[in-house]
Amino acid sequence: MEVTFKVYRKDPEKDGKPGRSNYTVEVAESATVLDALLKIRDEVDSTLAFRASCAKGYCGECMVRVNGSARLCCTAKVPDYTKKGPEISLDPLRNIPVIKDLVFDFDAFLWNKIKAVKPWLESDGSSVNGENLLPDSQMQDMRKVMSCFNCGMCDEGCTVLPVDFNFLGPAALTKAYRLAFDPRNKNSREQVKIVEKPKGIWDCVHCYEADEHCPRGIEPTKRIVALRDKAYHAGITHETVARHHKSFAASVKESGWVDEGRLAVESEGLTNVKGLMKLLPTAAKALAKGKAPIPYMHAKRPDADRIKKIFEKAEQEEK
Amino acid sequence: MQEFDVLVVGGGAAGLRAAIAAKHAGATVALISKVHPLRTNSAIAQGGLNAPLGKNDSPESFAQDTFVAGDDLCDRDVVRIFTQKASQDIIWLERMGVPFNRDTEGRLDRRPFGSNRQSRTCYTDDRTGHMVLQVLHEQFQREQIPSFEEWYVTSLAVDGAACLGAIALGLRAGKLDAFPARSVVLATGGFTRLYLPSTASLGTTGDGQCLAYGAGARLMDMEMIQFHPTVLAKKDGLLITEAVLGEGGVIVDQKGGSAADLKGVPRHRICLSIHRMQNGDGSVSLDLRPIGKDKLARFPQTQETVKAVGGLDILKEPVPIRPAAHRPMGGIETNATGETSIAGLFAVGECACNGLNGAGRLAGNTLTEAVVFGSRIGEAAAKQARAATQRSFPTAKTTDEEQRLAKITSEQSSNDSLRKIHGELGRLMNEKVGVIRSGTGLKEALDEIQSLKERYSKIRVKNPSRIYNYELTSYLELGSMLTLAEIVASAAQNRTESRGAHHRADFPERDDTNWKSHTVATLAGGSVQLQKKPMASS
Repeated sequence: MEVTFKVYRKDPEKDGKPGRSNYTVEVAESATVLDALLKIRDEVDSTLAFRASCAKGYCGECMVRVNGSARLCCTAKVPDYTKKGPEISLDPLRNIPVIKDLVFDFDAFLWNKIKAVKPWLESDGSSVNGENLLPDSQMQDMRKVMSCFNCGMCDEGCTVLPVDFNFLGPAALTKAYRLAFDPRNKNSREQVKIVEKPKGIWDCVHCYEADEHCPRGIEPTKRIVALRDKAYHAGITHETVARHHKSFAASVKESGWVDEGRLAVESEGLTNVKGLMKLLPTAAKALAKGKAPIPYMHAKRPDADRIKKIFEKAEQEEK
Repeated sequence: MQEFDVLVVGGGAAGLRAAIAAKHAGATVALISKVHPLRTNSAIAQGGLNAPLGKNDSPESFAQDTFVAGDDLCDRDVVRIFTQKASQDIIWLERMGVPFNRDTEGRLDRRPFGSNRQSRTCYTDDRTGHMVLQVLHEQFQREQIPSFEEWYVTSLAVDGAACLGAIALGLRAGKLDAFPARSVVLATGGFTRLYLPSTASLGTTGDGQCLAYGAGARLMDMEMIQFHPTVLAKKDGLLITEAVLGEGGVIVDQKGGSAADLKGVPRHRICLSIHRMQNGDGSVSLDLRPIGKDKLARFPQTQETVKAVGGLDILKEPVPIRPAAHRPMGGIETNATGETSIAGLFAVGECACNGLNGAGRLAGNTLTEAVVFGSRIGEAAAKQARAATQRSFPTAKTTDEEQRLAKITSEQSSNDSLRKIHGELGRLMNEKVGVIRSGTGLKEALDEIQSLKERYSKIRVKNPSRIYNYELTSYLELGSMLTLAEIVASAAQNRTESRGAHHRADFPERDDTNWKSHTVATLAGGSVQLQKKPMASS
């Protein structure tokens, strides 16, 4: 079958502006997108740059966008993408600096972020006492998380990264989970402390796109939530956003709904003079526009007692 | 141009383990890899790694199984060093975080695998290579070792008979650079990409073997190529771990008749059986349904990739299979501490041949080999670096390399191409230097390799850029493959017996009187010289 591949191009040695090349090639019905790219580079345009390694769906190296969706070139079959016509567009993953053509900056995208969570177990390798005795259920969870092959699809789907590229992102946070929850790690608080800082777990907006995108069903959002719980219960809660969660829950528990004024003040922290000062302009504006009652009073909502009971039941269950 | 004590080339399991060990031994270390370490061929190993941890197991019993798989061409001392050290090195991996499957007592579970007579293969579902590589990379990062990723080594700096470092092309910056080092450890992996189909990653092209050979090092047992029996027939080389046979999977012919019991048999025998079954009317399949749903849960990756690549559901239907080239037993000749015939140059893992694997790898030994000898050779390289006399790096080498790369670049057009030559080479090797070989076929193969080499010599790299120029790296890789293909075919022609993975239709018997010896290949006067090397006595 004859297919035209419309491929994103960028040449750092020329003007560096993005463009597109169209390549029409004959490929077999069974061909993958990677087969086609290799053929194009060999027969049509040897300057075309793209990455590939295992070519069988194991390694995650050849991730690009095929007709707009992130896919591994080596398992994406050409006929699956030509149903609307014999044209396929190929682009690098979104929101990532491109070096050349389909080769994007994997260091900035993923590897450096993973490095930032100190991605290793603190352990000694002595074999004197044999292996750690551990139930398989614990290892099963680790195997699931570690089946991540760094394809980057979760980060590609993330809705925070397009707004803030410095967010650690679901892939690196999932790596942090692996270390924070491995019972063999002697210093698992370390990873929790790292990801609890700004650009970490509290910046996730739990849109669940990462879970939708992960081809291995690792559920990165679930891992991020687990890290939040761990940070909270381990008392690593000095960040504004953790106080925010605490205050939010406390106010709903007590009054049945959120006390905005209390939430703002408690989120900044009662002793945080600088933070509280920051709130003043907002408070003044709200007052000026009649958005805050004077004197400031927060009333219970009807049936608040029933909401309180829900909280108490949940707290009991958690114990 | 920073000098390192130890320069490791190759970011797979053996390279990472060697780098970590060299750093622990007090050396300054750097690692160069042409792909990111997590994208190396180690990531696709599946079934597991052997360690004699069972109550009824022992290093000696493990050694005996290794000898049998190697069809008595293993160096026994090397094997015993290996089987003695295996358990502690696997426990090291566990303590560093490999999420091994556990038995009911919480100990490392061990599965029956290949021709191991004991259940001694530790595993993490069917992703053992992926997990081991990941944990090694974690510990590698813990050691803060400088890592030059996507750097392609184009040349070794060998002066006299000593290796003083390497010259590499940074794909991202598009620049050649010198890497002076007191010890260089080659851990560049195998070369079975010169076969098509092949289970190996695209970069498994024998660069390290070819660099060492070109610099004067000796290659050993290059005719010994292991074919993997259970490879998806539909597409280029998707491997299904042989562990499925140990767990109850069966090989069936077209009429649904199952093959004579192939459980616990060395890989080369299973390949021969499948080959014979194919001679009837073709297709041979692997039926995984007898394993049962519960145990099949240990093969999540197999389910995923067979579906993604072959469009087949292993829970519902048998999967057509054929043998495909997997891993070489041969490589750069080393002793048990990884030393090659060039001072300061070490080799480890699949690119090396220390006599461990003889004429056939025991299933589950490859990853164990990478970690056991990785740590051993890392330490040895650090030790050698301390003892080495200070010598200055031959800077003219870098200019020479610049000129060589410039010479192979030209805009001239031709009808020939790298991929055409590689395709023809792969099919030729599979057909004539494959599971079954013959004198006539090997002669034809050698003639055809010569003509492919001539065609290759006329090809030029058209892309003048150095930044992510994969045409250039493919060109260099094909050069390595052609060089090694000739050595493999010559050594196979030379060995007039059948042993392990080397099966000659015209010499079907093993001949201990004449052939209980290794084959050593060296480059002399521009061509391959072969000689027999007697086996170490013990």
